[in-house]
Amino acid sequence: MISLRKIWTVAERDIRMFLRYKFLLIMRAIWFVSQISLFGLVVNTMFTTKVQNAVGGSYFNYYAAGIIITMLYSTAVFIGYDIYEEADHGVIEYLLSVPVSRKELVLGRSIGGGLRSFMYVGPMMLFVLYLLGVSSFLQLLLALLSLFLFTFGVAGFSITLAVSIKSSDRFDILMGVTDALIVRLSTTLYPIAFMPQYYAGIASFNPLTFAADLFRWGAGMESTALTPPLLSAFGIIAFFSIFTFLGIFLHERRLEGGGWQ
Amino acid sequence: MISMNLADLFIMAIVYTNMVNPTITKEYVSYFVFFAPGLTITALFAAAFMIGREINMEVRREISHYMLSLPVKRWELAVGRVLAGGIRGIIYMAPLLATTLVITYIYTSVLPSLLQLLTIIVALFLISIGTSGLSIALAVSTTSFEKYITARGVVYYVLFFCSTVFYPMDLIKSALPQLTFIAQYNPLSCGADLSRAFLLGNPPFTPIMLIDIAFFALIFTSLAMVAYMKVTQK
Repeated sequence: MISLRKIWTVAERDIRMFLRYKFLLIMRAIWFVSQISLFGLVVNTMFTTKVQNAVGGSYFNYYAAGIIITMLYSTAVFIGYDIYEEADHGVIEYLLSVPVSRKELVLGRSIGGGLRSFMYVGPMMLFVLYLLGVSSFLQLLLALLSLFLFTFGVAGFSITLAVSIKSSDRFDILMGVTDALIVRLSTTLYPIAFMPQYYAGIASFNPLTFAADLFRWGAGMESTALTPPLLSAFGIIAFFSIFTFLGIFLHERRLEGGGWQ
Repeated sequence: MISMNLADLFIMAIVYTNMVNPTITKEYVSYFVFFAPGLTITALFAAAFMIGREINMEVRREISHYMLSLPVKRWELAVGRVLAGGIRGIIYMAPLLATTLVITYIYTSVLPSLLQLLTIIVALFLISIGTSGLSIALAVSTTSFEKYITARGVVYYVLFFCSTVFYPMDLIKSALPQLTFIAQYNPLSCGADLSRAFLLGNPPFTPIMLIDIAFFALIFTSLAMVAYMKVTQK
């Protein structure tokens, strides 16, 4: 029987640990500010009227919403790096000895990884929502609930990869490549209509596309969303379920026995 | 980092090419061709800037005391650190420069002359050691980790985004007129525009580009050397 209290204890630990990553927190915040105040503003003047119309009138608004999703993603995957830090310092073995089941451990870590990402990006999200304006609070609430699940799914994805690979160098490389591709092959930065077909096909099934479309729908930018909100929500739920299940499965089988490189 | 740079070029730049107003990039063939030289600069900048983080860690952990016990003079140590950061930038950037040359040749059928290529490489090397020097100077300016990261982040992203790496100068002048001065004299802008001048013929080459880069390299290399020697002696 899974104990919610134990899951929360694990999640709370991960949330507190996040505050130690000052380098990441400060750099990402400055990155966000420079994206909004420098890159986004200049790039907005670069595009054709057709593009501006396709994104609901302002590419800057479209881009600002997409940046939030990339921030959520990049901070949620950090839990995978935590696992390697812990493996390095022998903390994994300690965690395996505490009275928390493997399932509770991985669920707690997914929730903690996702929640801390959401808490960190929250103020930036509020700022972007203030810039965009919100037409329906119910739509926004539904979108935010789905984004919660999205961050849990990303954390679960990161945990799954970390535990499967068990090599920090290979994990670093794989996450770097994944990060580069998953953000650029999605609608976080640009609408799918302007992507070459071979990129558009991948972007259509990208969880970041679902998250970005849902966030824009929640903020009232319905015309810019490629996927209907219900389908996006379903895509995010599927993504979250798959990687949480895989995370639990692999965590139980791969975590013990050492072998971390 | 390589995957990020290549993804920027072969995914983001390709998509942006379909979105950008053609009148803005007609002098450069397309946005994709315009961006390629800029990407070389971003790669060089990112790689050369990394050394500062390592040196800041050494200063905070007082590993610099060990460095002083080595049979290396202090100024040799300082020069070596700055040079190392610069060479790292060059090594990392080299394949991307080759990629840029291939791309510009495919689209324009023009290769730079030997002198032009040499000028590009020298300019990039100067930017690299200047960036390394800037990073080291920042790294030794404070032992507070939070202050260092904040200063590092602000300098890094202002130089990065307030330059002609991603967009032509005219757009910066219209969208952010208050930052035009920074963008114009930003060594990243000068490096990117100098590369474009020789590879694409636009913007026209002006000696100010080289002078700006040379001054940047001289000032920050000197500053880094002096600051590093002072800090290691504490």
